[in-house]
Order: sequence, then structure tokens, then C-alpha cells
Amino acid sequence: MTGRRTGRALFASGLLLTLLAAGCGVRPSAVITGRPPISGPAQGTWVYLLAQGELVLVLRPVNADPSPAAALSLLAAGPQENERAQGFTSEVPAGLDPVTVTAGADRSGDLTVRTNIAAQALSAHAADQIICTTVAAAAQVSAANTATTVTIVGSDGARGPRACPIR
Amino acid sequence: MTPWRRVGAWVSGLRVRLVLAFAMLGVTTTVAVAGGSYFQARNVILQQAQDAAVMSLTDQLTKLYPIAQLPPTQDDLQLLAQRLSDRESFAVVVYRDMRAQGASEFTDPLTPELRQKVRDGRIAWQRVSLAGQPALLIGTQLALDRPDGTSRPSGVEVYSVRNLVPEQQSIDQLATRAWLTGGLSLVLAVLLALLSARGVLRPVRDLGRAARRLGEGDLSTRLTVRGADELADVARTFNHTAGTLERQVGELRRLESDARRFVADVSHELRTPLAAMTAVTDVLDEEAEHLPGDAGRAARLVSQETQNLTQLVNDLIEISRFDSGTARLALDDVDVAAAVTATLRIRGWLDRVRTELPPGVVARLDPRRLDVIVANLVGNAFRHGAEPVSVRLSADPDWVTIEVADRGPGLAPEVLPHVFDRLYKADTARTRSEGSGLGLAISWENARLHRHGERRGSLVAGNGTHGGAVFTLRLPRETADTGGAR
Repeated sequence: MTGRRTGRALFASGLLLTLLAAGCGVRPSAVITGRPPISGPAQGTWVYLLAQGELVLVLRPVNADPSPAAALSLLAAGPQENERAQGFTSEVPAGLDPVTVTAGADRSGDLTVRTNIAAQALSAHAADQIICTTVAAAAQVSAANTATTVTIVGSDGARGPRACPIR
Repeated sequence: MTPWRRVGAWVSGLRVRLVLAFAMLGVTTTVAVAGGSYFQARNVILQQAQDAAVMSLTDQLTKLYPIAQLPPTQDDLQLLAQRLSDRESFAVVVYRDMRAQGASEFTDPLTPELRQKVRDGRIAWQRVSLAGQPALLIGTQLALDRPDGTSRPSGVEVYSVRNLVPEQQSIDQLATRAWLTGGLSLVLAVLLALLSARGVLRPVRDLGRAARRLGEGDLSTRLTVRGADELADVARTFNHTAGTLERQVGELRRLESDARRFVADVSHELRTPLAAMTAVTDVLDEEAEHLPGDAGRAARLVSQETQNLTQLVNDLIEISRFDSGTARLALDDVDVAAAVTATLRIRGWLDRVRTELPPGVVARLDPRRLDVIVANLVGNAFRHGAEPVSVRLSADPDWVTIEVADRGPGLAPEVLPHVFDRLYKADTARTRSEGSGLGLAISWENARLHRHGERRGSLVAGNGTHGGAVFTLRLPRETADTGGAR
């Protein structure tokens, strides 16, 4: 009886000491998440290129014309030297230019991109590049937001409307 | 008591239990208090360090805006990583497949789960162990504001790896202090327990010692009553009990010694008239043959009874000597076989007794008392048992043993414990026996009188394997005269 009681007491104190020893020092932790990432202004025109099949944002130096049409011209010109060196590509054909971007008649601010090439022939990536670049540029000058859709009208008809898949 | 039981008794003893209880109390309290505050302090230290590190990184990163070039070149990343690295931390900057890192020996400190959280668009941090040292990983993306208030990830991820060794050191110091506090309080608890155990145990030990002394016969044992607690009550009760016991035992002893003295006095007083009566009966015996009929028988009866009475009075005087402690041994080196043979020859029993007396057994004892014992045992065997009666002597270096056996009916079980009682009659119907009824009692006392150190002579009654009573006398070979010590 006494032996058992003593045993229990020893066990309990041993457990306490073990717990205490195990909780000592700085232990590795799980990942702790905080607020959204740091954000700040960007200087330049937003252009969406492709890298390994994904849309990637690049900044081009600010040019005089902040309009979506000017941004689409930059896109049609393809990746620059340094961008190509890092494996960036574009599926937008150079014949996209000349292009016009007009805001829709209704109040939603939806945009229409008019070009001379065949809209249906554009690859899905190319269409997304055009849509995202247009919306990003339009946001600088008008009230376009992530929900704004873009319709691409080519020589063979309209494609879309569709919103930029990157939110 | 085996050693294990002694250890068990010590472990379950009051002192150990008290010490254990106090130690447990001390340890539990200390663990709760010191442990609790330790954990809290540690968490506060870590929290503060983490928050400060995150804040500092955020501040530094905010200064990078506005961002003018995307994608960055490897040189840009390297420059950024070096700008963000300082003495306590180094930065890792990742953009897609490119990666730059401040000066450090760790090639890839980032964990996949942290990178996942950062890519999902959150500032995230994690404590890890880098080469055995604690470190804090903080990661964030650099996002770009859009005019509509939302932001887009730029694809640049910045991680800061901060050494937590200073924090570890403060926490270790805390732990050391907690352990020290615990150890000190444990020592203090044990000291307190020992003190209080002493306070409780001393009266208990005193009580135990006094009870033992009382049990050993020292009835004058008393305890000093200290204080007014329960233990003092016990001591008072003990004293009262001991006092009552002493009074009653004293009374009993007085009564007993009075009775003994009375018997001794009466016996002595009877001696003188008995001597006269013996003289008269001697004359009567001579004349009895000439007396006719009943007168002759009466004369012989008176003579016989006077002899018996004389024997009884002599035995009573002998017994009272034992009782008063005045019996003394007259020691001599005796050839036991010769002494026994002499005893038998004097009483004319030599032909009727089977003897087995190896010669050369010499013992130091009182030959007269040996004679009394042997004569009494053999006489009883003839009187109460049946022949053949045998006397066997054996000896070893320490003891001399004499067995007197007969082939009679033996001793009944209910008689055995009382064989050596005074005036005990085995056969209650036979109110008048030939003996005084004191013979075996005297023999027993005579045997007990022989002692040497721890060895003490004994006389034991029993039954033989083939029936018949067997009386075994054992005497130490060396006997020291210790007087009438009983």
C-alpha cells in the first residue's frame, strides 16, 4: 500500500520534471501567418508575359502614353532582351498592333479590344495576356477593377467577354 | 526482522513520509509557480522578438517602393539580399527560379510550408532549428498596389533568417533561475520536514522507549509531559497506566512475599515440635510390635504420618529457600555417571534400573542437588509409572543430559503443563499420595539453579515414543554460581 503510494508519488514528480525539461528553451514552431504581404506602388506599365505556361507580371518603364492601347503595343512587341534571357515568352502575335480599346456603353466599365488579326485564332494564353494587360493599364486611367471583363474583337468576330484570371 | 523489512519500515516510517510529503508540496508549488512564470516569460520574450523582427523587416521592405523594374536581375536580387542582411540576420530573396542570399553558411534554411504560406499571400514566420541553433524565419512577398486599392503579387519573395541565440540565452537564464528556485525550495522543504518530523518523532520515540522499559519490568518508568498536544495526552495516559500498574504489581508482590514468608515461618515453627514428635514416634515404633491390635496399627500410622509430615515440612523449607532467593549451589567437579550410580545404590534401586551411563562425563555442578533431582525422578517413575525404568546419560561440550524414562501409561496431555506445579495431583481421586507433592517442583527449581551465561539448566517432562513418561534433565557443563538469581 505504502509502496504503491510512494511509487505513484515518484511517478507524478518524474512526469512533472519530464514536462518541465521538455518545455525548456526555444522550440521549433509551426508556421505562424500574419497580415497580408507588404504592398507598395509600382512605377511603370504593367505587362503580362508568359513564363513556364503562367502569366507573369513585368514592369516596363513609364512611357508618355498610359493608355491600354499603348500597353498592348508593348505586349505585341514581345519580351525584351533581359526578359527573354530569363525565359519569358509571349504568345501574342506581333500583328496585334494597331489596336484600339474602348469602354463599354453601359456603366460596368467593361472594355472592348479591337484588332485586325483573327481573335479566334489567338491561343488561350495570348487572350489572357491581352485581357490582363488591358485591365491593368485601364486601371491606371479609369475605374477598371479585377471584375472588369474584356471582349476581344478581331477580323473574325468577338471573343469573350472574359475577366483577367489573375486576381 | 529481515533487512528488507527494516528498509521497508524505514521507508514507510513517519520521518520519510513527512519528508516526502513536504518535498512533494515544495516541488509541486515551485513547479507550478516557477514553471508557469517561466513559460509565460519565455512566450513573452519570443513574442516580442518575433514581433520586433517582423516590424523591422516590414519597415526595411517598405523603403524599397516604388518598384520600377520587374523582372529583377540576379544582381538586383543579390543587392537586395545584402541590403537586408545585418549582424543578427540574413535575407534570402527569391524570384521564380532566381535566388539570392546574404552571407551565410546555410544553403537552404527555408521550409517548404513557410514558402507555401508566403506564396499564398501572407506574411508568415516560423521558428526552426538551424544547425542546432534556434532561428526565426520571416517571409513575405512584395506586392504591388493597384489604383483600385487591391494589390498584385510581384513574384518577389523576401525571407529574413534571424538568429534567436540571444533570446535562447535569456530563456536559458530564466530556466536556470527556475531550477535554482526549485532546488532551494526543495532543500527548504526537506529541512522543514526534518524539523517537524523531529518535533513529532521525539515524543513518539520517547514513548516507545518508555513502553519497552515498562515491558522489561521497570515499572518506575515515567515520561516527561511536554506541551498540551495529543502526544502529551498520550504521555500523561502512559504515566497514569504505569503508575497504576506499579501500584498493583507492588501490592501483588507484597502479598506473595507475605504468603511465602508465612509458609517459611510456619515450616520453621513446625520443625521443633516435629523433632519432638519424631523422637516420640521412634519410641512408638519400637513398642508397636508389643502393642496389641488397634493400638499397634495406630502407633504405626502415627509414626508413618509423622515421617510424611517431616518430609513435607523439609520440602516446604527447601521451596521457600528457592522463593526467597537464598538457595546456593555447592559446586564441585563431579563424575556424573558415578554420582548417578551412587544415588541409585544408596536407595537400593541399582538392580531395578536399567542404566546407560557412559563413564568420564565430568561436569561442574552441585552433587547434592543432582542427587535430589535423580532420586526424585527415579522415585516418581517407580511410584507412578511402571518398570522397567531407565536412566540414560549423554553429554556434549556444553550440556549434560539425563533422561529418566519408564514404561507406564505416560503423562496425560492435560497433566503435562502442570507436572511441575507445586502440590499438583495428577490423580484428583487420589488425595493422599506417598510424596509431599513438592518433589518435581523442587527438582525443577534445582535444575534451573544451574546456569552458565545464557545457558540455564532445565527439566522437561514428556512422553516417550514407546509410551511412558520421559523426564529430561539438562544441565550446563560449566556452572557459575550466581546465587539465588531466578
